[in-house]
Amino acid sequence: MIEGFRLGVFSRGRTLWDGLDIAIPDGSAQIVAGPPSSGKTLLLSILRGERRPDAGDVLVSGESLYRGAAGLSRSWRASCGYVPEPSAVDAGLTVADLFRRSALAGGGMRESERKERAARLLEMVGMQGASEWRFPELSASERARATLAAELLRGPKVLFCDGVVAAAGVPFREMLRGLFRALAREGNTVVLVERTIPERWAAAAGDPDPAGPFRVYRLPVPGAAVKGEPG
Amino acid sequence: MTGRPNLWWIDWRLSRGSLVIEAVGRFLFFSFLGFVLLSLLLSGGAFRFLAGNYAVTAVLRPDVPAAEAQGLARKVAALPPVRSAAYRDPEAAWKEFLRSYPGMEALRDDGGNPLPGYIEVRFLPDRLTLADVDLVASALRSVSLVEQVLAGEEGLPRLLRAGRFASLVCWGVFGAFLAGFFLVGTLQERARAVDLAGDFTFLAERGVPPVRLAVFRSAGAAVSGFLLAAAGTASGGGALFLLLRKFPFLEAVIGSPADLLLPRTAAAAVLFSCGAALLCAAAVLLGWRAARPRRT
Repeated sequence: MIEGFRLGVFSRGRTLWDGLDIAIPDGSAQIVAGPPSSGKTLLLSILRGERRPDAGDVLVSGESLYRGAAGLSRSWRASCGYVPEPSAVDAGLTVADLFRRSALAGGGMRESERKERAARLLEMVGMQGASEWRFPELSASERARATLAAELLRGPKVLFCDGVVAAAGVPFREMLRGLFRALAREGNTVVLVERTIPERWAAAAGDPDPAGPFRVYRLPVPGAAVKGEPG
Repeated sequence: MTGRPNLWWIDWRLSRGSLVIEAVGRFLFFSFLGFVLLSLLLSGGAFRFLAGNYAVTAVLRPDVPAAEAQGLARKVAALPPVRSAAYRDPEAAWKEFLRSYPGMEALRDDGGNPLPGYIEVRFLPDRLTLADVDLVASALRSVSLVEQVLAGEEGLPRLLRAGRFASLVCWGVFGAFLAGFFLVGTLQERARAVDLAGDFTFLAERGVPPVRLAVFRSAGAAVSGFLLAAAGTASGGGALFLLLRKFPFLEAVIGSPADLLLPRTAAAAVLFSCGAALLCAAAVLLGWRAARPRRT
């Protein structure tokens, strides 16, 4: 369970948001939607233990990320997967390099096993045979999907994605929805931040919970809907 | 699979190709530096050459029996600064004289040998000092068998100053090579750190403290630097050994190949390897500053 209590952020000389409460149960897939420049990426950084909030605290399984032991925040980040918004990357980076990095961050993996799993994951996100493709030459959709596949290599219990659904594009949205639901059904937690969510997703998720400037949607997870629910 | 990443040899895992090329280059350079270092250690800079060419000569009285002269030579040879003390009897002295000044046989027309016997004293390279020369010359002058001691004391200070200057130049060139290695190494590490900045940022975002990354990288560089320097020094020493065996005349300038196996030579090689390891680690840390992971 990830819980943000009374979170506040002061940025660019003003209060971006304050008193924000958010709870993300284990084994759920949630989407935090908000307008541009509302601090979605910042919220993700705070929940990942990367950026201390100016007010409030984040608890993970009941332990404070920012007021507890310093090692907790690091081990939390190490256990999470993170797909950032596509940005400038090294010119020589290939898709295979993403998997190599991910395997390294996860404590190492035999090269043969890594290649085999990378091929399966790439196929799963519709990018079969893309291992040697150069990352800067990929489209935004391909970058988002390749990065997601590389993060899944480590099998993180919690996956944070920033703008992946929007970047992936319409043809891959349903594939991603199925993937996120499957991950949640297996007990993993998925947190997505997006500007908007697809209509079909919104219809399936039902009414969102307001949280500061954001709306929090919960993707229905068949067979595991009550897992990790508070109360 | 969300364990703690193993950061030992992380550079090797991230940029194997460039590391192999650098390791080969460093091994060759350390071989060269090891060769130079061992040559300098054995030769003492210019002092082995000086010690090979400088001698104190004790001219004996004409009536000194050979047995007594040899006994005196043995006693002189036992003095700490002395490498060798050789007695030449009057006949040997006469032959040496004729070799140096051919056509002077007429000096012996009356049958007698006009030259006395003498003892030639040579010094250890590291004991060729004014004090030690004075010690030996004084000891010889106090012996009644000795008529005259030729030590060249008036020109010796100038000779030793020139020797010290030559040694300083030699060590200075060696130090310049080391400094050059450090400079190039720092630039190489800087380039690698910039090249791997994306990987380091990735790891930092996933909970790997940048300080830990830097410490492990420099520790890895220190270990590999030590091993490369030790291997390079060994191969440089091997090359020097073969060179001295093939060209024995070089022993007069550098020293005996057997001296390479002395414990003090081995200790110096280990110290050099430790120093190289420190330089490699420092180069990594300085290069690291160019590409510290950026926190989002």
